[in-house]
Amino acid sequence: MVWCAWAAPAAAQTAAATECENCHRGQSDARLSTPARDFALTDVHRERGFSCVNCHGGNPNEPDKVKAKAPSTGFKGKPAGQMVIAVCAQCHSDGTLMRKFAPKQRIDQAAEYATSVHGHQLAKGDTKVATCVSCHGAHGVRLVGDAQSPVYVLNVATTCSKCHSDAERMKAYKLPDGSPLPTDQRAKYETSVHHTAMVKKNDLSAPTCNDCHGNHGAAPPGVGAIANVCGTCHTVFATKFAVSAHSQIFDRSCVECHSNHAIAQPSDAMLGTDKAALCVTCHSDGDNGHQAAGAMRGGIEKLKAAIAHSQAIVAAAENAGMDMGSQAIALREAGNQLTLARTEMHAFDPKPVEAVLQEGLAITAKIDAQGDAALAEMSYRRTGLAVSLGAILLVVVALRLKIRSLKHADE
Amino acid sequence: MTQHVLAWLDERLDISGLRAFIAEKTVPRHRHSVWYYMGGITLFLLGVQVASGILLLLYYRPSAAEAYESVQFIVSQVEFGWLIRNVHSWSANLLILMAFVHLFSTFFLRAYRKPRELTWITGVLLLFIMMGFGFSGYLLPWNELAFFATKVGTGIAGAVPVVGDFMVRFLRGGDEVTGATLTRFYGIHVAILPAITTVLIGVHLLLIQRQGMSVPPSVEKRAKAGEKIPQEPFFPNYVLHDVMWWYVALAVLAALALFLPWELGRKADAFAAVPAGIRPEWYFLAMFQTLKLIPSHIFGLEGEMLGVMGFNVAALFLLLVPFIDRKAAAGAPSRIVTATGILAVIYLIVFTIYGYFAA
Repeated sequence: MVWCAWAAPAAAQTAAATECENCHRGQSDARLSTPARDFALTDVHRERGFSCVNCHGGNPNEPDKVKAKAPSTGFKGKPAGQMVIAVCAQCHSDGTLMRKFAPKQRIDQAAEYATSVHGHQLAKGDTKVATCVSCHGAHGVRLVGDAQSPVYVLNVATTCSKCHSDAERMKAYKLPDGSPLPTDQRAKYETSVHHTAMVKKNDLSAPTCNDCHGNHGAAPPGVGAIANVCGTCHTVFATKFAVSAHSQIFDRSCVECHSNHAIAQPSDAMLGTDKAALCVTCHSDGDNGHQAAGAMRGGIEKLKAAIAHSQAIVAAAENAGMDMGSQAIALREAGNQLTLARTEMHAFDPKPVEAVLQEGLAITAKIDAQGDAALAEMSYRRTGLAVSLGAILLVVVALRLKIRSLKHADE
Repeated sequence: MTQHVLAWLDERLDISGLRAFIAEKTVPRHRHSVWYYMGGITLFLLGVQVASGILLLLYYRPSAAEAYESVQFIVSQVEFGWLIRNVHSWSANLLILMAFVHLFSTFFLRAYRKPRELTWITGVLLLFIMMGFGFSGYLLPWNELAFFATKVGTGIAGAVPVVGDFMVRFLRGGDEVTGATLTRFYGIHVAILPAITTVLIGVHLLLIQRQGMSVPPSVEKRAKAGEKIPQEPFFPNYVLHDVMWWYVALAVLAALALFLPWELGRKADAFAAVPAGIRPEWYFLAMFQTLKLIPSHIFGLEGEMLGVMGFNVAALFLLLVPFIDRKAAAGAPSRIVTATGILAVIYLIVFTIYGYFAA
């Protein structure tokens, strides 16, 4: 009888310990005992009724190890290279089977893997590249959403960097231009705004390695695909950039200004004509791009100054006890216009940027007028109250004098 | 014409009798007389609260969805609404401050001694009621600070043994501070407490009128020794003094409204993170800070429960002072009672300041 993966359990129930586990757990060689122990602790496959034989073959009920691994049992031993992909795919690419356990899960991982750099290298016979078990583990496999899984969103960078930060391991690989494959991707990523968002601000939707490179089909985005990849999250920026003159010129689109792994927090300083601005790396004084950069940066700075001025007026009026709720909301709207201008800037056309900025300036002008009116009203109230206070104190003095005169009269 | 109206009223209301009574009424005058006016100022501020509260009622809407917006409308859109709200908020605080001053001056002058025990008891109850006004009124603008402070404040009631959980649910109108709590606090603030206050104030003033002003034991001793205690006419001398002090209180109120407008803050949001610096109104700070300092367990009992029970015992002691201080009735000073009073004042001042800065 052949004990193989096709003898998969029909329902999700934890598999009972097999003779394989009983024997392996007692082995003094850790290489033989650890897989059995890990599998027995927490493994998503075991929890759903799968056992050793589903991947390794063999007879799980046979206590004699020679008989258990006899060729007639379909024993495969430890899968390696392409066999790992085949073993995992025998279930994960089987839609009928997967529907019983995870109906929503995709079944194209093996096909995707074949298109990846890892898959291409493996097909060429390079067995050092990552296969399924390199990222997911072999025994003790956890669901992707399990925080302890090596492919959980917060652990992906660590998992990828196990190989990609290993200079010794990566020195055999080259980029298409023949230069050495860098190993500083993780170090750079950890300085990026994406890493900050994910790790420090707990935004699990922020991108990590697989969001740009893909996971099963992992490969660097092609030169022409960068804007599309960034645009999966930064949709509006990508739309603006697509209609810009730069989209035709920039070989690496977004990466030209924002870099790739070490994407810093964007700032207005990146735009403009001063030394710190990125525009001047290509544009020189007098050309159209130089003028456009100067105009857009100047407009943005003008709106920023106007917002700061309005904020100061609103704060002063609020501190004086005036209700500035609607003005505070309008200030947020002016801030939105500033953000919109920064977005619009990615089309690198000063006209639409200026239109947005003018809307923002109109809002701040209105806030200033209302703020000044509130401060004037406050001044009026204070004057009124001060006069009343004076009148009250006059009455107090008059009463005091009257009381004294009464006292004298009594005496 | 005026004479005719007065004569008409006199026939029906015996105004001439009242006028004669007022003309003859005198008030003792001595070096402690100034403390008599503290009660008058408290009464005046209560009047300010009633008047400004009624005006606020015209626009205030007691629901979680509308309370904050209605107060915002009052301070920004209603003519002089800002002034009314400022005055109501500041006057509430001054009222409680003056009620404390009045209570402690009465305490140290031993004005609670026989036959004025009931005047003292109604006064102490009125102070508790005023604090209840403050606690219930604090939530009404439905802002963030008030919401979370009320959550903490009502939660403390849960530390009372046996009835704690019931009290928390009774105060909150449920398990949590919600719109139901706001409606409940509103009802307590504008109907239940004013009704009780009206009765207590009536009895308190009637007793003062009936028994006359108390004089300190030292002055009473001199009177018993045959010395004549100077008296001044109630009208106009004492009344003018009272009015003068009312005007001083009004001036303080105007100055506070002028220089320190009462902030509205942000609208309450039950799902928002608890803002930093959550603390109750200043008159609960000493108790709040004490509860924070008490260890979680003392001799196997919950510290907070012991603290709350301690405050209840202190309140009961305060209420029953006339019956505890037997020496005062005989005109003899009690050093223990004086020392206890001084310690209480020091404790309240120090822990209030400590609580203010610690929070």
